[in-house]
Amino acid sequence: MRLLLVEDEHDIQTFLRNSLTEAGYQVDVASDGKKAEALALEAPYDILIVDLGLPDIDGISLILRLRQIGVTAPVLILSARRSVDDRVRGLEHGGDDYLTKPFALAELLARLRNLLKRNSPAGNEATRLHVLDLELDLLRREATRSGQILQLTPQEFVLLEYLCRNAGRVVTRSMILDKVWGMRIQPDTNVVDVHIYRLRGKVDARGQQPLIRTLRGVGYVLKDR
Amino acid sequence: MSSKTAKPAMRSAAWRISLWATLAFACGTMLVFVFLHRFVAKDIQRRSDAWLSGEVEMLGEVAEQSPRNALYDRIVGEVADLAEKEIPNRLLSETRSNDSVFFLQTSGNGTPTLWVGAGAVAPFSQAIQRAGVPENRPADIRVEGFDVPFRVASMRLPDGSLIYLGLSERDELRVLRQLRFRFILLWPLLVLLGFAIVFYTTRRMLRRVQRITEAAARIGHTDLTARVPSSRRNDEVGQLGRTLNRMLDRIENSMHQLHTITDSLAHDLRSPLTAIRGKLEMSLSAPTHGEQAEAVVSAIEELDRLTEFLNTSLDVAEGKADALRLSRSEIQLCDLLRAMMDLYEPSMSEKELQISLRCSEPVKIHADAALIHRMIANLFDNELKHLPPHCTVTLLLESRKGAAWLTLEDDGPGFEPEVVPHLFERRVKGKQSRGHGLGLAFVDAVVRAHGGTVSASEREGGGARITLSLPLSSARQDANAPETALVQSRQGTQ
Repeated sequence: MRLLLVEDEHDIQTFLRNSLTEAGYQVDVASDGKKAEALALEAPYDILIVDLGLPDIDGISLILRLRQIGVTAPVLILSARRSVDDRVRGLEHGGDDYLTKPFALAELLARLRNLLKRNSPAGNEATRLHVLDLELDLLRREATRSGQILQLTPQEFVLLEYLCRNAGRVVTRSMILDKVWGMRIQPDTNVVDVHIYRLRGKVDARGQQPLIRTLRGVGYVLKDR
Repeated sequence: MSSKTAKPAMRSAAWRISLWATLAFACGTMLVFVFLHRFVAKDIQRRSDAWLSGEVEMLGEVAEQSPRNALYDRIVGEVADLAEKEIPNRLLSETRSNDSVFFLQTSGNGTPTLWVGAGAVAPFSQAIQRAGVPENRPADIRVEGFDVPFRVASMRLPDGSLIYLGLSERDELRVLRQLRFRFILLWPLLVLLGFAIVFYTTRRMLRRVQRITEAAARIGHTDLTARVPSSRRNDEVGQLGRTLNRMLDRIENSMHQLHTITDSLAHDLRSPLTAIRGKLEMSLSAPTHGEQAEAVVSAIEELDRLTEFLNTSLDVAEGKADALRLSRSEIQLCDLLRAMMDLYEPSMSEKELQISLRCSEPVKIHADAALIHRMIANLFDNELKHLPPHCTVTLLLESRKGAAWLTLEDDGPGFEPEVVPHLFERRVKGKQSRGHGLGLAFVDAVVRAHGGTVSASEREGGGARITLSLPLSSARQDANAPETALVQSRQGTQ
């Protein structure tokens, strides 16, 4: 996957290039709009990350210009602004996404995957999910582990489904709040942890290999190996 | 047209102003008329007095020079008759003209010797004697059988006899009566015309004020780009409009400044925060010792708390300045509260707290969903942090008087009395509180930005109560599509 990172802050540039390379992306970096345009003309990219506050051009204008010169790859917008620009909202509807700084790396990666998947032809939506010995029937809203039915509330099922869809990958608390509850909030208390704790009590019953792992400071991951 | 312009004219300020102005106008014109009337009456009197004096003098001369013979009566009588033809103020419509003038000559002791006039001499001579008409100065006498008084001038002849010339005041009074009659007829028309003109002009003037008021009311908390209508006229209303617009310019400018400051502050702090967080996360993925990892993890958590504090702080700052930016959508508050309770219920029961919601009807508000979510989360976090075990949190949502009223009660220890008056201010917290003291200030900021109210009080029987109201969404649908759905997707899409 070829990725173009357009970011002027040196520190952020460095850590993003390292993390993204580690995550398997082939990363090119541009520090300003001019260079970004030149790079985008040179070779096609699968995805772009564009910071809104560039030294020479406004991020949105850059994206519009890239679209004009024929760049169709999805764009993940990084913004350090507080209020989400209406124009960003417009782009978001057009298939792109935005993320406010500071962000968790896990969330950045999740959004990149999401954008790439959205851009690729959709496969048949599965009705069943398998992760090791965990099985979710999405139609009957039923989860089983080693053939044993788990007594989950509807909310817990949605949470487990989200973890299963991201099996092997880290999800953060704010990602869970956004995708499971539809809220972009940052609670001051451990509300998400309590949900995970309860779910874990049901999924990882005594004597079984624990599936839901907590990565402190980062989030949670459902083990798939 | 808004309801304000449609209100009955009789309750408008223009109506009241016109009434008072008309009253003053009516009194003024009446006063002017009274003065005019008196002036005219005096003038007529003066002219008739001058005529009387002149005529009586002439008659005196005639009487003096005429020999006292049989012809005397005829000569003097005819002169008197002639005098009648020269009456001032005389109306042409007069038919029996001879009853408007009389001539009387009496001897020294008052016995009438010569009489020219209508009717018998007796009532006249009696009236003259009764009134005691002074010489050389005309006076009024009232004669029996006549409605109007006579003006009489007298003159003493050298032989001691007196001559009197009387003129009926009938014509004079008629002139004045006609003057009054015409005025009474014209006066109401004049007053009515005055009223109409005053009402029309003040109404036009006040309409302009009204338009300014309406436009000013439309200019919302955050939309400061609109301006009130201003005319090029340099009168008070034009100045009002221009002054308001200049004020709006200044407010918009400072609002813009505030946004610039908060945005650049956020930007300047967020960029390094992003870099630090990224580096910490990178170091976490590298193989590290347990203790080191623990330190990194707590650093990341502190960083996230700092970020949230920064966001909330700036939101509160903007909220306090009525400059919080909203992206509104239609929200079912009852559903939103249920979803939030779903999220918080496990944490609550973990702390052995009960939470319940009473909400009988759907309550719709037009609000910024993200801010409302964060506000409710703040309230719930507050309860979670401060309530001792086995307490109950009760939420009551109802719509009343065009607003959604949310009452949040608990049976915990309540607020510390000394903080109650300042609960919604920044950095105010109880001694036991571990928070940063922004929670309720943020609630206040969000509620204010939506045009609502919030208050805190002690609950009867102990505990805390927070009551907040948010305006219900009006029937009109905003053109913007709802940007943030209540629950965007219950299914993970990744």
